[in-house]
Amino acid sequence: MNKRITLLILMAMTATLPMSAQVQYGTNQYAVRMNVGYNHNTTYGSHAGFDFGAFMPINQHFEMQADLRFTTAKNHALGVQLRPKFAVPVGEMFVEGRLQANFYPRDGFNDMTQAIGIGYRMEYVSVLFGMSTRLIIESPYDWHANSNIIVEPFNFCYRIEAFVRPTTSPWNISLCISNMTDYQIERVWQPIFMANGRYNIDEHWQVNLSALCKPTGMFHLNAKYYAAEVRAGFAYAF
Amino acid sequence: MKKTIIAISALILCACNPDTWNLDVTGMFSGSSPGINQRVEDSFRYNDEHGYPVINATSENYKVYIATDTHVDFTRDNWERFINDYRADTNCPLAIHLGDLVNAQNHWDYMKRPLDSIPANPLKHDTLLVVVGNHDLYFNQWKEYLLRWKTATYYAIVKTPAGKQDLYIFIDTGEGILGERQTEWLKQTLTWADGQGFRHIAVSTHTNLFKRDSSQENSSNMPLEETYALIHLLKMHNVKMFWCGHDHSREITNLGTMMAITVDALKDPEAHPAYMIATMSDEDIHYRFVDLK
Repeated sequence: MNKRITLLILMAMTATLPMSAQVQYGTNQYAVRMNVGYNHNTTYGSHAGFDFGAFMPINQHFEMQADLRFTTAKNHALGVQLRPKFAVPVGEMFVEGRLQANFYPRDGFNDMTQAIGIGYRMEYVSVLFGMSTRLIIESPYDWHANSNIIVEPFNFCYRIEAFVRPTTSPWNISLCISNMTDYQIERVWQPIFMANGRYNIDEHWQVNLSALCKPTGMFHLNAKYYAAEVRAGFAYAF
Repeated sequence: MKKTIIAISALILCACNPDTWNLDVTGMFSGSSPGINQRVEDSFRYNDEHGYPVINATSENYKVYIATDTHVDFTRDNWERFINDYRADTNCPLAIHLGDLVNAQNHWDYMKRPLDSIPANPLKHDTLLVVVGNHDLYFNQWKEYLLRWKTATYYAIVKTPAGKQDLYIFIDTGEGILGERQTEWLKQTLTWADGQGFRHIAVSTHTNLFKRDSSQENSSNMPLEETYALIHLLKMHNVKMFWCGHDHSREITNLGTMMAITVDALKDPEAHPAYMIATMSDEDIHYRFVDLK
């Protein structure tokens, strides 16, 4: 295997700390977070990313998450997640609705993706399967043309995440495969491998570290490296 | 019991999909052909030694026959029909294949044989230009492709009797990205083309841009960032047509000044095999599909 890919996968697998505000079973505190990241892909090369998020457990049956990201590659994102949840004898069932807007001003495109899925989370595992619809909009928008909006009506979404520690642990590491990150919902055949970790310094402060690797051509059966990212930051729980 | 279940599951899987035996599953995690940057270097080495094709058309409004996804393995009926058709047309100076020439390994010579046996028309118009597809790459087939087709990143110029010129650019998206080296070449080529006064510029590749219908099945696209960056680059340099395959199902996307057309697969058997004929004229590029069933 290509050395570069091996290194990136190892990096992703061994990244220790956490995560953005990905689903954290049992969390019931409002929290905000900030991360700084190094990103590389073969389209834009190396660039930096800055992201901010808020996690809002409104009540025991409903939580929200909002994410905002800027990158020096001029690829920005804004997302909202709504998550009604229901306790079951073991774990929780949840429905996840997402509205994700991505802006690519350097390339003259914006896209908006709506996704809905059904998930199940326990102490050590969280899974989600759903569907998404994407509107791709050329920018600047030409009101006199009929060609500015492209619709990708159906796409399958999934996220399978395994944790090494229970939710109540002051630290945790997870490995995840999904076609969604907090900032992008990709096509079904574009999986993204992620490793996330968190460490709770005290009842308010948490440090996070996460890494991802995005290969291309997995379902061309000719997979090669496309992108990698390492993010680090902190979260403050109220 | 466990072994029986595994064996039955494997048999069901194979029965459902006859191509199962031809799937290079390890390619899901690490493709066996060289990566895009290495393939581009291999293509450039040939281009540097042999130059780029220049083809003379006999009419201002000549035709280009375009096929894709023949996936030749044990039959090649539709493929032979396509070769016969384009070689019989005296107004067709070139034909294009958009990749996935073969389904998997060991069919290259069988795929190529009709090109040697089916005669050209009296004007000797028998040029076929190809790009590489993902099926032409897995099982480490790049060396087989290279042996027979020599290059996958190049351009060709067609000259009309009145001295007008059309530019055809071929790019390798066999693993779903262009890669740094090929992107740089594409930028340089398009910048050079800006000053040459080409009548039309068309880009041919394998991987389709969008997933606008439910026909995609298990075919990967390019990552979203790559898709947008590629379209932006092509439109910035007045590319009029983007021709691709991969999805096996016809899809026409109007991108304002550029049209992206996914051509139907030509493999046998296929429910709706078709190829496309583009007519290049001073005013525009007109296209129509020829359904084989």
